[in-house]
Amino acid sequence: MPLFRTAEIIKASKLPPEGVKLSRMIDAVYFLPIAYFGVFATFHMHFDLLAGDWDFWIDWKDRQWWVTVTPMVEVMYPGAVMYYFWTFYRQPFGATLCITGLLVGKWITIVFAWYWWANFPMNFVMPATMVPSALVLDCVLLLTRSWMLTAIFGVWAFAMIFYPENYFIFGYSKQPLVADGQLLSLADYMGFTYVRTGTPEYIRIIEVGSLRTFGGHTVWISAFFSAFASMLIYTIWWQMGHFFGTAYFWVKGKRGKLTRTNDIMIVGTDEFAVTHGAIPNGGLPVGITMAEGKS
Amino acid sequence: MNAKNLYKLCVIGSLGVATLGLTLVFNASPAAAHGERSQEPFLRMRTAQWYDTRWNPQKTAVNDEAILSGKMHIAEDWPRAVVKPNRTFINVGSPSSVFTRISSKVNGTPMFTSGPMEIGGDYEYVIKLRGRLPGHHHIHPMLAVNGAGPIAGPGGWMDITGNYADFTNPVKLLVGGTINTETAGLAAGYFWHILWLSIGFCWIGWFGIRPMFLIRARVLAQEGGDALLNDPVDRVVAYAVLGVTLLIVAIGFFTTDASYPYTVPLQAGEAKIKATHLKSDLTVKVLTADYDVPGRALRLTLQVTNGGENAVRIGEFTTAGIRFLNTVGVANNMDPTYPPEIMATAGLNIENESPINPGETREIKIDSRDSLWEVQRLMDLVHDPEQRFGGLLMAWDEAGNRHINSIAGPIIPVFTRAQG
Repeated sequence: MPLFRTAEIIKASKLPPEGVKLSRMIDAVYFLPIAYFGVFATFHMHFDLLAGDWDFWIDWKDRQWWVTVTPMVEVMYPGAVMYYFWTFYRQPFGATLCITGLLVGKWITIVFAWYWWANFPMNFVMPATMVPSALVLDCVLLLTRSWMLTAIFGVWAFAMIFYPENYFIFGYSKQPLVADGQLLSLADYMGFTYVRTGTPEYIRIIEVGSLRTFGGHTVWISAFFSAFASMLIYTIWWQMGHFFGTAYFWVKGKRGKLTRTNDIMIVGTDEFAVTHGAIPNGGLPVGITMAEGKS
Repeated sequence: MNAKNLYKLCVIGSLGVATLGLTLVFNASPAAAHGERSQEPFLRMRTAQWYDTRWNPQKTAVNDEAILSGKMHIAEDWPRAVVKPNRTFINVGSPSSVFTRISSKVNGTPMFTSGPMEIGGDYEYVIKLRGRLPGHHHIHPMLAVNGAGPIAGPGGWMDITGNYADFTNPVKLLVGGTINTETAGLAAGYFWHILWLSIGFCWIGWFGIRPMFLIRARVLAQEGGDALLNDPVDRVVAYAVLGVTLLIVAIGFFTTDASYPYTVPLQAGEAKIKATHLKSDLTVKVLTADYDVPGRALRLTLQVTNGGENAVRIGEFTTAGIRFLNTVGVANNMDPTYPPEIMATAGLNIENESPINPGETREIKIDSRDSLWEVQRLMDLVHDPEQRFGGLLMAWDEAGNRHINSIAGPIIPVFTRAQG
């Protein structure tokens, strides 16, 4: 018994063998150079503009803003990209593609910009990871096959596990030390000891806000807030994916009536043409427009 | 490809080759400073007035310590166009972290976090550094003011010798043990990033080993396509990935939490620094001030009253970290290590250099004249939005005590020699 349904799926696609071969070439070209590099380049820029400093510096990774802002920004692109991959291909890797792409971009920056060019040690500029969150999000979509349930449960988990999944990487930096008679965390001291001429201490947006109730459990209050905000953001970006990812056609029928059709995959088939009467007897009458619209 | 397109490509290609050629012909030396001269004169002359800056020693080995120290006066005549120093941070202007900063004290108070400074206040800073990256570096003290930006002090050259590979930055933890900030947590960071990226790529690869796009799109458009694409093995894998991911996160979190039982959040306090104030027996009133543009000179007429018990002589005028001295200043305040490119040892001329006696009030004409006004781009004063100057006037009594007055006032540019 075969592991996958691949043979059945290929058969159902009604493509000849050379078409199947060509489709795999399209997969390779489309996936890596276009989808992957395109996403990681644009998502990286988007993320750095909205949440960059919290990710760049170890002394910005606080209990409030870092925990709140990062999931909210990192869920945006996955929302739109998941719409696209799921709706058109039923592929459940949109979030993982975005987040791993973002992380690859971040590491390129760390090595070339921060370490080689600016001479900061890599632990000082180590990025956060959200790959586990992205895996959870993708798995929830695949298992529920519902974007609404994914927004409710998947995105909630996406944001809630952000702090624990990064605690292995940054936990050490929360250890206390005393410098000149003052208590600091190691992260504070690293931010102080590595001179940043253009980034004075007051630039930090940390530990400022009102998410401080419940006996100082600031991290979890912030994570809850971030989770709910992320749900909303995810649905908005899913709808943006819908808006930008939907192609439709205006088709003029036999009696000249314009009809909008969203089913772009059927456009161009004989079945479609006959159904819509665009080709009454195998020929295209003069003056009949086959299709026009936006994509 | 037609001839026109071919021609266009040739032109573009030629320009590219020419550009590459020019880079070989002209030697573009690396930028060695921080653009301090590009800051507008009113910003440099009337905000933080730097003096007694020391770069000690000027040659340091990797891992050895050096001190950047000095004083600054927060000018009473702080410009309206610059946000007031309600949140400031004493910083180091350096090309990257060539030194690590071990300690930073302002008026004896550690300044790990930012804090307010008082207009009219005087502050002494001592910044302890440790050599990290070998090279010949231009180092400034710097006052960063929230909303106004960094205000660079005078820049001096410091050399670091040795090998970067030998650098370590050990820090003693409160809970015991020592940690090197260069490498702390690095192995764990690499491990977790590689692990999660690998799992992420495997997840994508699981779907990538089968037809990904075109075939699935065609199937999905058909009746029953959705069910056909819902492969049971994918669901099993998804359950497994979900479970394993959450399990790893939980185990990792609780293990790490147990490894570091004592932690503190980031410290976001405010440095409370008490200001001192300049002391002087002199009272100085600016009567007139003009700026001789062709002569590159600031000409002041001052009314000076000596309210002390000793005669004093004026010896130095300093502004924007640039020092203009006469023989009195050289005798009393000459630091041979001060960068010569920002010091004019014969740049201060006084009409009557005799001592100002106790109780005496005298009108004094002072002329600080040097090409430094142009080299350091302070002649751009005429283009400032507020035509005022500022600086510190220093005088010494017979016992060698220094008297410092912060002076400021409106200034009139003189564009031609005939006007002067």
